[in-house]
Amino acid sequence: MKTGSKKKGARTGTERAAPRLIALGGGKGGIGKTFLAANLSVALSRLGLEVVAVDADLEGSNLHTCLGVEPPPMSLADFVADREVDVGKLAAATSIPNLRLIAATHANLWSPQPSDEQRVALVGHLRKLPADIVLIDLGAGTHPAVMDYYLSADEGVVVFAPEPTSVENGYSFMRAAFYRGMHRWMSDEPLRDLIAQAMDQHNERGIRTPLDLLRAARALDPAGGRRLEKLVHRLRPRIILNEARSATDIKMGFAIKSVCLKYFGIEADYLGYVNHDDVVRKSVLARKPLVLSHPKSDAAIYVGRIARKLAAGSFRSKAVRPKARSNAPAPTHRKL
Amino acid sequence: MKSILDQNFYELLEVQPDAPTDEIERAYQIAHSTYDTGSLALYSVFEEGDAVVLRERLDTAYRVLSDSASRREYDAAIAAECAEVDLEANGNNGGSVGPLEIELELPLEIEFEAEAEPQIIASSSVELGEFDDFEDDPEDTVYDGDRLRRARLRRELELEHIASITKITPTYLSFLEEDRFDDLPAPVYVRGFVTAYARCVGLDPALVARSYMERFESTAPPKRSRKKNLFARS
Repeated sequence: MKTGSKKKGARTGTERAAPRLIALGGGKGGIGKTFLAANLSVALSRLGLEVVAVDADLEGSNLHTCLGVEPPPMSLADFVADREVDVGKLAAATSIPNLRLIAATHANLWSPQPSDEQRVALVGHLRKLPADIVLIDLGAGTHPAVMDYYLSADEGVVVFAPEPTSVENGYSFMRAAFYRGMHRWMSDEPLRDLIAQAMDQHNERGIRTPLDLLRAARALDPAGGRRLEKLVHRLRPRIILNEARSATDIKMGFAIKSVCLKYFGIEADYLGYVNHDDVVRKSVLARKPLVLSHPKSDAAIYVGRIARKLAAGSFRSKAVRPKARSNAPAPTHRKL
Repeated sequence: MKSILDQNFYELLEVQPDAPTDEIERAYQIAHSTYDTGSLALYSVFEEGDAVVLRERLDTAYRVLSDSASRREYDAAIAAECAEVDLEANGNNGGSVGPLEIELELPLEIEFEAEAEPQIIASSSVELGEFDDFEDDPEDTVYDGDRLRRARLRRELELEHIASITKITPTYLSFLEEDRFDDLPAPVYVRGFVTAYARCVGLDPALVARSYMERFESTAPPKRSRKKNLFARS
């Protein structure tokens, strides 16, 4: 494949800008994260972008199934087991042009998750992949590994479904990202201590909300508190509302955006919604991405809309970048 | 980043200070459904106490900003406040939107009806369409408290009913009807109250507000004593 020629020589390193890392999470399982990751990857690749889809869910891997590809012989599990140190070599070609997959199959059942050092190395490798977009499908929950990938990414997408269980887990996910991110990015020790204390939800200081934390930080150290407030802006979740069945459901995206601002003090973007559609189940049963099996369905059209919004950032940076590759395939639908 | 209590009305409704009326309307509709009791989007984040405060603040924000006269007055108050803060804090706070340091002169002992079902009070809302058939009063009618009460009684409305729609406490509504100007809060709020009241009883809000405010402002003491700030930060 093209990958082979690209890898030759140091030339590519100078010509290519680093890919955008987009992490897609949402706390709760079964709300369509992997479905969206698979279909957005395909839709983005069809816009002419080089995409690497990464299955970071070592304990519940099925991105390959949603993409309709055979489990590749090598996966992230080989990286975790130190059998393969170059993550780039794990990116397997798929039948879909411009799209490669780093799967998470055959994980070690005794200890599936990578160590702290491996996680850092993994993100470093992903940043060096010759691609425009690296889309990371996160597992459910707020495991430190999940949050690390989310916080390392350039953009974080949080998927919600209009049901209390998803809303609760989605906010838990954002809360975890907030405190972990602040702890990770803040360099002042006293404030790091404060943040660590606040992560205990029954903390003695009575810090209940992110805003409480910022207030306590300002009281402790006004200058540090201001720095902390600036760091908050690095979190800018992009919300997708999946399985929308009514106008009320669709409007919930705006409501979540407002809650992000009023509760977390963070700006969020409402990227879009995907409606509940029986063809989604059909496509999963057929093990074929919806955008390929039912391209005219409403759900596929909505996925496409979200993909174009996500792609906008890449096209902007592509325009200023010197010509990336002469043999790039002609983009098909650059409707922006 | 400011807490809800420090945000000004524009920040609360998440609109720009120059947002047109229809945008404020839309923003309020979204906020209203977002922070309504039982709203799914609030699940597991806001505690009920916080949500009640937030709903009251949003309603006040909408009441003030949806009326062009009270909005102008509010804008002037913010601008004055900004200038003051700039002078005091040496430009430390000099953003385009100032913090809400405007004194809300709502005495502590009078509380909003927390249980009252909040309703959208815009004349454009369908539910209140029935209230929109204005009386044919001549342009120069003087709308004093007595006249307001008569309009209400003609429609056989109880004060409590108006309170539940406008979310203005019955106490304030009765102050309005009795022309007890000394007991009423700052003009910016009274204008909002009168406008909402007029809408409910089927009078032209603009006419009523103009007439009522004229009398209110000519008789109100020039420098009103600053009462306890309900939303004061500790």
